[in-house]
Parts: sequence; C-alpha cells; structure tokens
Amino acid sequence: MAEIVGGFVVPHNPIMFYEPDAPSAAQKQVVLDAYAATAARIAELKADTAIIIGCDHYILYGTECLPRYVISTGEMDGPVDQLPGLKRAPIACHAELGTHICREGFESGFDWTVGRAMAVDHSVAIPHHYMVKPNAGMKSVAVMLACGVDPYLPMKRAWELGEQIAAAVKSFPGNERVVVIGSGGISHHVGDERMGEVNPDFDGRVLAAITSGDKQAMLGFTDDIILSEGGNGAMEIRTFACAMAAVGAAGGKVVAYEPITEWVTGMGFAELKAAA
Amino acid sequence: MSRNSLEKVLYDLSTSGANKKAFSAEPEKFLSRYQLTEEERALITGYKVREIADRGVNTMLTWGFWLQSGRAQRDYMKIMKREEA
Repeated sequence: MAEIVGGFVVPHNPIMFYEPDAPSAAQKQVVLDAYAATAARIAELKADTAIIIGCDHYILYGTECLPRYVISTGEMDGPVDQLPGLKRAPIACHAELGTHICREGFESGFDWTVGRAMAVDHSVAIPHHYMVKPNAGMKSVAVMLACGVDPYLPMKRAWELGEQIAAAVKSFPGNERVVVIGSGGISHHVGDERMGEVNPDFDGRVLAAITSGDKQAMLGFTDDIILSEGGNGAMEIRTFACAMAAVGAAGGKVVAYEPITEWVTGMGFAELKAAA
Repeated sequence: MSRNSLEKVLYDLSTSGANKKAFSAEPEKFLSRYQLTEEERALITGYKVREIADRGVNTMLTWGFWLQSGRAQRDYMKIMKREEA
C-alpha cells in the first residue's frame, strides 16, 4: 500500500532566476540552503514519488476555460514559462498514481480536470527542480489549484482536496513512498500597486498555522484577509492548505523564512509531519 | 464593457509570440478579433494599465502586458501607483 511519508511547503519565485543576486548574499543563501535541506530530507524519507501542488499564473489556462483543480494523469513537461537556467523539459511522471487519485475522486465527489499530457508552469517546475530532481529516479504527480485567477478555489475545498488525495494514496496498490509539496509564496503582490510589499507578520501567522497543524487557523485566512494583508499572490496559500490536509495536518517545523523585498515575496519553507 | 475580453486579449498576447508580432505590426487589425468597445481598444493600444486594472483585469496580466512591450518596470509601478511615469 502506498504511503504519504512527509510533506513540505515551499515558494516558487521566478524572480530568483531572473534576478538571482538582487537580495543580499546571506538571504539568497538561506533560500538555496532551504531548498537543499528539503531535498536532503526527501532522500532521508526514502520518498520515490512527489505530489506537487501548484497554481496557474494565467499562463496555462485562459479565459476560454478556467479549471478549478487539475491533476496530471499521464506525461508532463514544463515550465511553459521558461526561466534562465530552467528550460522547458519532460518531467518524470507517475501517471498511474495521478490516474488513481483522479478516479477515486470521481467516485467521491471531486470532479478533477485532467492533464493527460500536462504542461505545468514554474509553480510545479521550481520545486521539482530544487527538491525532486536531486533525488534520482523520483516521479511526480502535478496538481494545479485555481489560486491566481478568479474564481478562486475556496480554501475549504483545497483542504478537502488534500484529504481526497490522502485517501486515494492510501488505497493505491503499490509501495510508493510519497511526499506532498505545497508550492506558493506567502505575502506578495503581483502586478498591483503594492508590488514589493512583504508582510512578515502575516507570513508568521501562516507558518504558525501550518506548523501547528491548525486547520481552523488555516481556513480562517479568508480571501479578504489574504488580499489585504498578504496580497493577491498570497492566494497561493491554498496549496499549503491542500498539502496540510494531505499529510493529515500533524504539524511540522519551519525550515527557513526570509522576507525578501527584492524578490517581492515572503519566502517561507516548512516541513510537514505525516500523521501516524 | 467586459473585463473578460480585456483579459482574453492580454492573455493571448502574453502566451503567444505570433500574437505579439501581429499586435505589434497591426494593433487595430489584431484587436478586431475581440469583442471590445472603442474605449477598450484605446486602453490597450495606449498601454493604459492602471485603467485596465481598474476595470477588474487581473494584474498578473497587466504587468505581463507591460513588460512584454519592453517598457520599464519602474514606469509600470509609477503608473500603478498613480504617479507620473
């Protein structure tokens, strides 16, 4: 039987690739060390599969059709929005697990949109690059939530989706050791007049909710609170809620946090304990 | 007046090199594909990102639209903050 052995929440900041030396050398190193620590922890957990929960940035899906949540059930490649040092390429996928999660979802009230040959953006490709790729042989399943473009997926639904992923992994007929990665920036404003503002207080409260496994605190981040205190980019914390629920909200610990105004983002990393 | 069509134009420009080229060569012809008012077409050809965002258009798109044209980030922020660019 497959098992979720751990989880993480991490940022996916593309500006890191365009302006790698914009912040201080010390801040940059904290971020790089944090990614390296999560990759090493994945190795310690002997994980062979990652479910990476990202979000579209109005890159993958347009006004013609805006899916609520999407899962990869076949091949995968990305990032569509190539970055300096991170070019579009095939990503090793776990098609059977993605398909299983999807089919189980159909039976339990989750109408997944599927990517049978799915393209992902940087929200999946960056964590894959830093955390999964260093662990040779790992496969991934990509999940994309509507966090960047309205109508947004409600936080509660993101949580329920995480629970559905957990149940489906448990019933998967294999011996996979799975880590779940929630991918998103904490406070950040994308393209609006407040771009560059970072809110360490908000970021601290989000990380506290995550590391204490506090479902009510997490669901208490309403869209109004997120938009006013964290910014439009912080709507991505839905991916954190989904990952928390998938691992059983058993708490965890902060790996690193840096408010990096040069990268316009509160960059938070945490490890999520898997519930026994 | 529809933010949907405005978003569609900006999305199409941000995700397709062919669209960017067509818009750059003949903006009015390119925009004739879309259900836009004359005022909306003027907002786009004039890169009026503040006014476009004020109509509810996602600012990920307004930012991308500005940058893909080669315009400066500093000027974008001045305009979004309603300062003189």
